[in-house]
Amino acid sequence: MMRLVSLSAALASLGMGGVASAAAPDPVAEKPVSFSRDIRPILSSNCFHCHGPDEKNRKAHLRLDIREGALRARGRAKRHPVVAGKPGNSEIIARLTARDADDRMPPSDSGKKVTPEQIDLIRRWISQGATWGKHWAFEPPLRPKPPRLATADDKSPDGAAARVNNPIDNFIFNRLDHEGLSPSPEADRATLLRRLSLDLIGLPPTPEEIDAFLADKTSSAWNRQIDRLLGSKHYGERWGRIWLDAARYADSDGYEKDKPREVWFYRDWVINALNQDMPYDQFVIDQIAGDLLPKANQDDVVATGFLRNSMLNEEGGIDPEEFRMAAMFDRMDAIGKAVLGFTLQCAQCHNHKYDPLSQEDYYRLLSYLNNSYEAQPMVYTKKNLQKWAALSGKISRIESSLKNQRADWMARMEEWEQSVKSNQPEWTVLKLKNSSGNNGQRYFEQENGSYLAQGYAPTKLTAPFDTTTDLPEIRSFQIEMLNHPNLPGGGPGRGLLGRFSLSEFQVKAESIRDPKQKVSAKFVRATADYGNKRTKLKAPYLDKRDGESAGFTGPVEYAIDGDNKTGWGADAGPERRNRARKAVFVTDQNVAFPGGTRLTITLVQRQGGWNSDDNQTMNLGCFRISITGKEVVADPLPIDVREIVENIPQGKRTPQQSEKVFGYWRTTVPEWKTANDEIEALWSQHPEGTTQFVYQEMKRPRQTHLLKRGDFLQPAELVTPGLPSFLHPPSPGVGTGRLAFARWLVDRQSPTAARAIVNRIWQSYFGTGIVATTDDLGSSGASPSHPDLLDWLAVELMDSGWSLKHIHRLITQSATYRQSSVASAALETRDPENRLLARGPRFRVDAEIVRDIFLAASGLLNPEVGGPSVYPPAPAFLFERPASYGPKNWDYDTGPEKYRRAIYTFRFRSVPYPVLQAFDAPSGRIATVRRARSNTPLQALATLNESLFVESAQALARTTVARGGKSDAERLTYLFRRCVARRPGAAESALLLKLLAEQTARFENGELDPEKVLTPPAGPDGKAPPIPHQPDGITAAQLGAWTVVSRVVLNLDETITKE
Amino acid sequence: MNFSMNPPIPGPRAAAALSRRWFLKDCGVGLGSIAMTHLLADSGLAKSSSVSAGPVDPLVVKRPHFPARAKNVIYLFMGGGPSHLEMFDNKPMLTKYDGTLPPTDLLKGYRSAFIDPNSALLGPKFTFAKHGESGIEMSEILPNMATVADEITVIKSMKTDAFNHAPAQVLMSTGNQQLGKPSMGAWTVYGLGSETRDLPAFVVLSSGQKGPSGGNANWGSGFLPTVYQGVSFRSTGDPVLFLSNPSGVDERLQRDSIDAVNGLNQLHQKAVGDPEITTRIKSFEMAFRMQSSAPELMNLAGEPKHILELYGAKPGEASFANNCLLARRMVERGVRFVELFHESWDQHGNLTKGLEKNCRDTEQACAALIRDLKQRGMLEDTLIIWGGEFGRTPMVQGSNDGRDHHPNAFSMWMAGGGVKGGFSYGASDDFGFNVVENPVHVRDLHATVLHLLGFDHERLNYPFQGLDQRLTGVNPAHVVTDLIA
Repeated sequence: MMRLVSLSAALASLGMGGVASAAAPDPVAEKPVSFSRDIRPILSSNCFHCHGPDEKNRKAHLRLDIREGALRARGRAKRHPVVAGKPGNSEIIARLTARDADDRMPPSDSGKKVTPEQIDLIRRWISQGATWGKHWAFEPPLRPKPPRLATADDKSPDGAAARVNNPIDNFIFNRLDHEGLSPSPEADRATLLRRLSLDLIGLPPTPEEIDAFLADKTSSAWNRQIDRLLGSKHYGERWGRIWLDAARYADSDGYEKDKPREVWFYRDWVINALNQDMPYDQFVIDQIAGDLLPKANQDDVVATGFLRNSMLNEEGGIDPEEFRMAAMFDRMDAIGKAVLGFTLQCAQCHNHKYDPLSQEDYYRLLSYLNNSYEAQPMVYTKKNLQKWAALSGKISRIESSLKNQRADWMARMEEWEQSVKSNQPEWTVLKLKNSSGNNGQRYFEQENGSYLAQGYAPTKLTAPFDTTTDLPEIRSFQIEMLNHPNLPGGGPGRGLLGRFSLSEFQVKAESIRDPKQKVSAKFVRATADYGNKRTKLKAPYLDKRDGESAGFTGPVEYAIDGDNKTGWGADAGPERRNRARKAVFVTDQNVAFPGGTRLTITLVQRQGGWNSDDNQTMNLGCFRISITGKEVVADPLPIDVREIVENIPQGKRTPQQSEKVFGYWRTTVPEWKTANDEIEALWSQHPEGTTQFVYQEMKRPRQTHLLKRGDFLQPAELVTPGLPSFLHPPSPGVGTGRLAFARWLVDRQSPTAARAIVNRIWQSYFGTGIVATTDDLGSSGASPSHPDLLDWLAVELMDSGWSLKHIHRLITQSATYRQSSVASAALETRDPENRLLARGPRFRVDAEIVRDIFLAASGLLNPEVGGPSVYPPAPAFLFERPASYGPKNWDYDTGPEKYRRAIYTFRFRSVPYPVLQAFDAPSGRIATVRRARSNTPLQALATLNESLFVESAQALARTTVARGGKSDAERLTYLFRRCVARRPGAAESALLLKLLAEQTARFENGELDPEKVLTPPAGPDGKAPPIPHQPDGITAAQLGAWTVVSRVVLNLDETITKE
Repeated sequence: MNFSMNPPIPGPRAAAALSRRWFLKDCGVGLGSIAMTHLLADSGLAKSSSVSAGPVDPLVVKRPHFPARAKNVIYLFMGGGPSHLEMFDNKPMLTKYDGTLPPTDLLKGYRSAFIDPNSALLGPKFTFAKHGESGIEMSEILPNMATVADEITVIKSMKTDAFNHAPAQVLMSTGNQQLGKPSMGAWTVYGLGSETRDLPAFVVLSSGQKGPSGGNANWGSGFLPTVYQGVSFRSTGDPVLFLSNPSGVDERLQRDSIDAVNGLNQLHQKAVGDPEITTRIKSFEMAFRMQSSAPELMNLAGEPKHILELYGAKPGEASFANNCLLARRMVERGVRFVELFHESWDQHGNLTKGLEKNCRDTEQACAALIRDLKQRGMLEDTLIIWGGEFGRTPMVQGSNDGRDHHPNAFSMWMAGGGVKGGFSYGASDDFGFNVVENPVHVRDLHATVLHLLGFDHERLNYPFQGLDQRLTGVNPAHVVTDLIA
């Protein structure tokens, strides 16, 4: 294997780590040396690559990550790598300090180096008995005692001790004491409230909110603000967005087609769960296995969308299994980063080199997840669920009254059942072979003899299938359109919401004995159990090139009319469009040949749209074809009804089964026409749902193999579900399967689950986690800056019943959090990353908040929570070729939707919303638990010139003039406070008032045209909307100048920074 | 405490600190020269003297591991998978066996995208001839490239792991089929920094029928700081997003506004002491400069007629030819890495006409780019790379005028930047199916490009997810030294 030339190791050797002071003598180091905190990291980064858990890579059969390995005598000389208590006899010390480069470890060509200080630590650790332990992150956290401050006796009001609000401060201030630093004074109140508001809800406070807080002189004023903001519905949006990064949420598939998908129910589930302060363990369990919970409701199922946020490749020519495996790896990666807090990815291809995770462990974990369909059922909003509950209640009441009207209904139904029970011919199901060179769409044979279409979904498809039969007579062909969880809404089609259209059903028959004898079947009759009315194709199924001659879906005859522009469709409206359907086509004559017949059945599907990148297919999703020698009509009984009627005697039916049979039978009773019509009218009001990608357990588990090098074409031994032994064992009674796995992930004994999430919360507040590598608490991750604090917070989280709001409360109540973020030059030099927290956090807010601040400050913000993703203004060319692989729909919203918070902006993975991308929003391609935070000219161009930002400046000017007072100075203060909460200083006011005066003059003297500056940016049609109503008593020139000033203040570093 | 030994943390300041440390460790450059570079870069910023020194700019010019052969890269990415069999890899045997089935042992374990691999062989559609003193073979649809045969190295032994567009393009761009890794351009800028203060260091232009299959993952920064990602330019309209002033804002108002923003930011920087504000001020200054430098860059009207004719460029048009000329202008202005995507090489059908058209659209400009850079003395330190994400099957798709995706063997060419001229490297078998001599995997290509830029590909790395990540990944990669002049 390759050497990993490590920059980090080299830097460590230079003593240039995260904190400038780290190389200085550390008073804490006089404590007993801890293996897991002090020694293991040294061994891990310098030795484990060759002497660690990975057997295949191990050199000289020496293993240093476990005690037995390091104590065992080796070689002819029987030297012991480590002799407890005797560093002088320990080979490891000899090798670390060897003069001869050939003997010295680590080898010079490894690029690794152990410093004299580190060797000294190792020596002291051996002297102290060389106790071993797991890496700290793999031992469950215990509640540490908050340290007593060294300066605890200093009772001066500015002293650290007097400022301690809760144990967080003990941990932080104690470290500051040791570093010879003291905490910064508390930030001023306006700044504090802005910090709190940005942190808890991602929006700046309004001047009114600031005034209220400034006026509140009670001792509980701060806590009241915390409670107010934690209770805000926007809290879930702010912290939900952070979780959505880890959940790699996006609204499209990724890869080439990057077609849109409907997954916003999952996004809203996250927001709601956080708003309700759902316990974090439950939050995780729902997302990994909510569908398997006893009495799982729609929300529980939607939560598993977490696992399904993986990308999906439906590029032409792909093997769906290859990308299903890629998605499985992605799910593992997401669980690793989001929940476990360490990287699993390495073990996909080989044993982990640093952590004791074997490749087999990896696939055993994966096998818990590997038994799901790629399901996308219909889901409904709460309102629509209630609406349907009311409607279906009415239907039940009508059905009950029908039963009451006719006491003998059961006997009559039984009679009817007997009459239909055996009125169907024997159908011979055909085994089909796709003979088109496959066109890229792949067909998977199902147990029931049907074929499931997967992978590439061409918009227009002509799919020929070959088969042979020895049936002596063939007069009727039946095609059944069946359901499958992998299809939208369960199918039966691959179109949006499960629609399908069959343009033509064609059959050629050929004699096997004498291939010269052949015939094209002529169909004389088509029947189906359902066909929708003639319906003109609309977007997205409309082929733009067809213009007015767009095609139609309609009755089943359309499938044999020789016209590709018409096709059999069975869209019976919400819910009922997702039922299995069937059609039967009768030939004019027997098409079988004596001695066997070769059939080529062609399913023509030409009702797709013009662009294969936008889900505009109406391809069949799951179908089964069968033949009979009889001339028959399609069975009017729905497939599921017939199954019950034929197989389950009346006495043995569940109430649902009985309802189902009754529900069909009543439609056959002529005298019930009025009631049937009434019920039909109620059905037609069934609300429309949307699809949501979720997990749904397969009836029979999939076999999971270890894959050599992670290659799906190289399966090795079978593995069974199991948990890695270096982590905690499962609690008794958690059961088996995915639900047990989910519960294990967030077990009270889990060493990493609580640490990982509190560490990420800390990162969001302070810019860096207590462990800076938030994606990896494991051996190759960074060491914690405040290990005891991390453990204390982790235990607090669990002891509070996994309440995340409890952690938020603790952090925001701490004096640490409330420090001023002003940095002296000395402090800036000493601790540029602010890891020691001798001052408050100061950094640019996340991308979404940048945009939300503009909208909130200007008053444009539409605070509505939840719902489908929205399309705010964006340059059209981004969604067209050649900027995008294929054209994408971005008919942007011009109404209030365009002012929604950025979390609701539709996210195409391949064409990220440009403003959010400029500010480092992740694309959703992989789980992200730590965002970059760049500072670039493209950001400046966006905030200066992007249309919604420009509109924000215009609106802020109007608000300022209308509500900010009468004088320029008052107005300026108002404007300033809306953006940055505090009042402007004298120099700042002077500068801005001068700008205001200068630009007013330029507008007045005609150098600048106020009309132009006040005109809103052009809409998608290229036309600018009219200038909004101007506040009274102000000239266009004055308002123009205020717009300039608004734009300047919105563009300040401070405006998009949390101070 | 021992977090001093842990990987540096990628964050804005850490990224800057990282480049600083990297700079000190690997470049052997003293602090004095950092300051110098910095000051020079900032010389346009008059008001910054009162501002305290900020973090080291992550785009500061850095010296590579060893003397570089190339300073800049122009990557002509031919998306879709150009047919090596019709352009650079002459296979007379394929003509001979046209219409017959390929040997069965050749197809063992072979996966294809669309066709049944057991399809008949299809002879090349065009005639080949030797060109230049070197006698490099090219087909008749490359008449202009034929005239620069002695300037290029043709690699006929490329191979890749992926045979679907999106994964294969992303593999070619980032060294990994999974999306989310940094692109070659991002690594280059991370390693070398930027020579321009007025333009992004990594610029992307697209032409052809569609966009790249892998989307912007092809020029993403992955886990590297986002400042290293490619910036898409448009050859018509606003070249950069949000470059134009809003309605009614003239240049003076924009200047006055930015002065006010910067003035207030400076006041605030004094008050709070955060050097990040200095970076913000610089960003606004560069944004302002870019507002004039980018349109100036994109305006081809000032190019002399003979240059426009050389490329086949027409001012105001969106075309690959214009993009090639723009690439030269960018490199002249210090853009480190220019990537031109031309996605239209996916000839499942219409092979003959499709290739003729694609070559008409591109090959004159490719040849012109080589010639033009050479006459300006820029070719020796500008590396041009031409190629797609895979080749095409020797087997036919459809009746007789199409080929499917083929990862086992394909051709690319490079020019300038320390690469030999008039050199042909590697070979595929008689059917152009497998590589039989000097295989060059995508990883090898990446290692070689980094080598030409002065980097040991094993040492240009970045810590992420517990691993020192690099462009060439964890599998072995070798520098193809044979093709270095």
